[in-house]
Amino acid sequence: MRDVTVCGLGKTFGAHVVLAGLDLEVPAGSLTAILGPSGSGKTTLLRLLAGFERADTGTIGIGGVLVDGPGAYLPPERRRIGYVPQEGSLFPHLTVAGNVGFGLPAGQRRGGKVDALLETVGLGGFGRRYPHQLSGGQQQRVALARALAIEPAVVLLDEPFASLDAHLRASVRADVQEIFRRAGTTAVLVTHDQDEALSVADRVAALRDGKIAQCAPPDDLYCRPADPRLASFIGEANLLEGVVSGATVKTLLGALPLDPAAAIPGAAGQVTVLIRPEQIDIVPNEDGLTAHVTSYRYHGHDAVLYAQPEDDAGVEGSRPVVVRITGGPHRPVGSGVTLRARGPVFAWPAD
Amino acid sequence: MTLLTDVQDVQHATGTRAGRRTSRPVALLTAAILVAALMAVPLVFLLIEAAGAGAGELKGLIFRSLTWSLLWNTVRLAAVVTAACAVIGTGAAWCVERTDLPGRRVWAVLVVIPLAIPDFVVSFGWNSLWTWAHGFTGASIVMTLAVYPLVYLPVAASLRVADPGQEEVARSLGVGRVRTFARITLGQAKGAILGGCLLVALVLLAEFGAFEILGYQTFTTEIFTEFHGYSFAASCALSLVLVLLSLLVLAGEGALRGRGGRVTRTGPMTQRITPPQRLGRLRWPVLTLFTALVLLSLGIPIASAVYWMTAGLPPALSGGANVSLLNAAAHTAGYGVAAGALATVLAFPVALLAVRHAGRVRHLLERSTYLVLAMPGVVVAFALSYFTERYAAGFGYGTPALLAACYAIMFFPLALVGVKASLARAPVSLDEVARSLGQRRLAVLCRVTARIAGPGLVAAFCLVFLSVVTELTATLLLIPTGTQTLATQFWAYETNLSYSQAAPFALVMIVVAAVPSYLLGRFFQRPALTRG
Repeated sequence: MRDVTVCGLGKTFGAHVVLAGLDLEVPAGSLTAILGPSGSGKTTLLRLLAGFERADTGTIGIGGVLVDGPGAYLPPERRRIGYVPQEGSLFPHLTVAGNVGFGLPAGQRRGGKVDALLETVGLGGFGRRYPHQLSGGQQQRVALARALAIEPAVVLLDEPFASLDAHLRASVRADVQEIFRRAGTTAVLVTHDQDEALSVADRVAALRDGKIAQCAPPDDLYCRPADPRLASFIGEANLLEGVVSGATVKTLLGALPLDPAAAIPGAAGQVTVLIRPEQIDIVPNEDGLTAHVTSYRYHGHDAVLYAQPEDDAGVEGSRPVVVRITGGPHRPVGSGVTLRARGPVFAWPAD
Repeated sequence: MTLLTDVQDVQHATGTRAGRRTSRPVALLTAAILVAALMAVPLVFLLIEAAGAGAGELKGLIFRSLTWSLLWNTVRLAAVVTAACAVIGTGAAWCVERTDLPGRRVWAVLVVIPLAIPDFVVSFGWNSLWTWAHGFTGASIVMTLAVYPLVYLPVAASLRVADPGQEEVARSLGVGRVRTFARITLGQAKGAILGGCLLVALVLLAEFGAFEILGYQTFTTEIFTEFHGYSFAASCALSLVLVLLSLLVLAGEGALRGRGGRVTRTGPMTQRITPPQRLGRLRWPVLTLFTALVLLSLGIPIASAVYWMTAGLPPALSGGANVSLLNAAAHTAGYGVAAGALATVLAFPVALLAVRHAGRVRHLLERSTYLVLAMPGVVVAFALSYFTERYAAGFGYGTPALLAACYAIMFFPLALVGVKASLARAPVSLDEVARSLGQRRLAVLCRVTARIAGPGLVAAFCLVFLSVVTELTATLLLIPTGTQTLATQFWAYETNLSYSQAAPFALVMIVVAAVPSYLLGRFFQRPALTRG
């Protein structure tokens, strides 16, 4: 299994710049998710990796071999890329076994290897069926087995779970993750769903403005995003003004311990503080920020409410604070709450 | 959230995914341009011939009373028959697709088969039985019965894929049954109805055999007569008027269709089963109408052919006639295969370009080949034969190759439709997956594209084959001396009033054309294997 190195990758369609000097490292054996909204160039990046498109600038290396760059281009059929497209794209005229064996030498297309792969993806005994006789999740797993059959250097998945029903998505996602982990496959997955990216991948690369804004393990990306914009993109975020002094930061939610990873020059001054909704609790009438509920969304396992700080709390014109609570009583709109945050919190120097 | 909106703006700018393809398919483009050029050959020849005849002479030949009477004959028949076909075809399609008409599946087949019977065989059936079936009345009846499936087929197809949920929504919004039909159902089928009417009008402009039998004079019959009388300048002048008329019909259809005529369906393409509309008390009247329609359009041509075959002496069954029948059938089949293969091969690059590489130039290229639609068979044949004789020192004149090429040009639009439909079943994404699995381009073409598109290519071939079997006009003009096809031999007997000898040829053409068209109909009704 090999790794992927992308340097300064650029791609333009007409007057529109899709990728603008993108850098990316995919360590061998890892599952890396490319996270970005639709139209951000995720699919273009994947198609460049697969070799369906040629890069305008920059280089792509797979396992130390330059597959795309100035004067070098390896066509898709010679890259040993396992490509799993969005809709599965199974060959409609071939059986499941025929699909899985498609990329194998003629002699190996029937028999042990294909059956073993179908077992791996949990579809043993389905070999003689045709794609239209399978459910969406099954089609997706056949597409995966087909990609794995050629023992690819890296597997590329283009929004592989987007077309599945919500309840099916979670189980197929877990299956895929397990299959990759056991086989030690290097994989790149493209998605616009941050839940999916955070729960499946070892590393998440956030794509923005044609570049990777940050590539980090999921918890790092969520707790320590590179900038405030990224913080709002990945999950809900309260971005508050604060003043750092030493290891604490003062915000309208009180003084909180600062995450040591936050790089604040001189360890003092004005900062923008990130407080995630689940870092805020509703406390009985004690010390804390008094506010009234402006909206309340109940989700069953938890609830999200927006609370507007009272003017007499000493902060005027502040925006509502997002709070995630588990359990507790229903909070009708207009009711008063007292909020308190838990640290450590992350911060960036204020602009 | 700003990130999201930023990017969505950008997405708008990117446009469609088809725009992603940047590689220029030079070889494909070249091939398609050559094909488009070939399709323009008849028109170019016609213009060269017109230039040769001189403007003054053409003017005199066009602006005379004969032209006006031909124009009146052609236009009024086209108007009456097109209107009748629109009503019958749409009504029948709605009953079959959307109501609880008993025996819908059987009717669906029976109302399409008349299309496979050559128009001149239908008119022979009527005219040989009843002498009143001639002139304008005869032509109106016969042509309506012969070509209404041209409206039925597209309308039925569009009703089948259109969302019946829209009708339900209209009813739920308080719109009544009749107004729902007028506002929603007809709206959904508008494009298909117009498309069908266009085909009907073009067929009427091009028809020769049926009108000759019915003694009804139109541009096509007159061009034929003038050509046989060696009045080439007159043929040329009338051809120009006829082509102009066809272009007007094409333009008119385009204008009527407008921009918003497309039926889209928002949800996934799964066919939801909705309960059909109940006919209720109309059930028996509708069944009676269907029975009458099938008896008139299908029953009379077949019954008439059988009648003449049995009424006459048995020469048709004697050795000599059988040999001639076999011989003619062999020639017909030979031309059918050659033209079918040629047209399918020619259509391939144009279709591939249209399906795989969207773009304005390519779209224009594809559209330009549809100009052939405005060239009636008699004009194509006239242009090719006169040009080869007069300007190309007889090169190719009277050879089987010229006739095959003429067929291929005439029926190119048919082949193009079939090839495009079949290529659309094999999306590019499958090619990409196949390549990522280590297959080279050629292997992908053989193992994926051709395998998936294959049945559709065969269907396109068959469409052309069938059209050749029932073609008469161009065949009469271009057939090499001494050779006979089913159509020309039938014609020879028919013009000699040897009905009992003509009848077997009519029956063979009906059988040869009807059975495969039934199978073809089944093929095109089958849904694609994969969903988009």
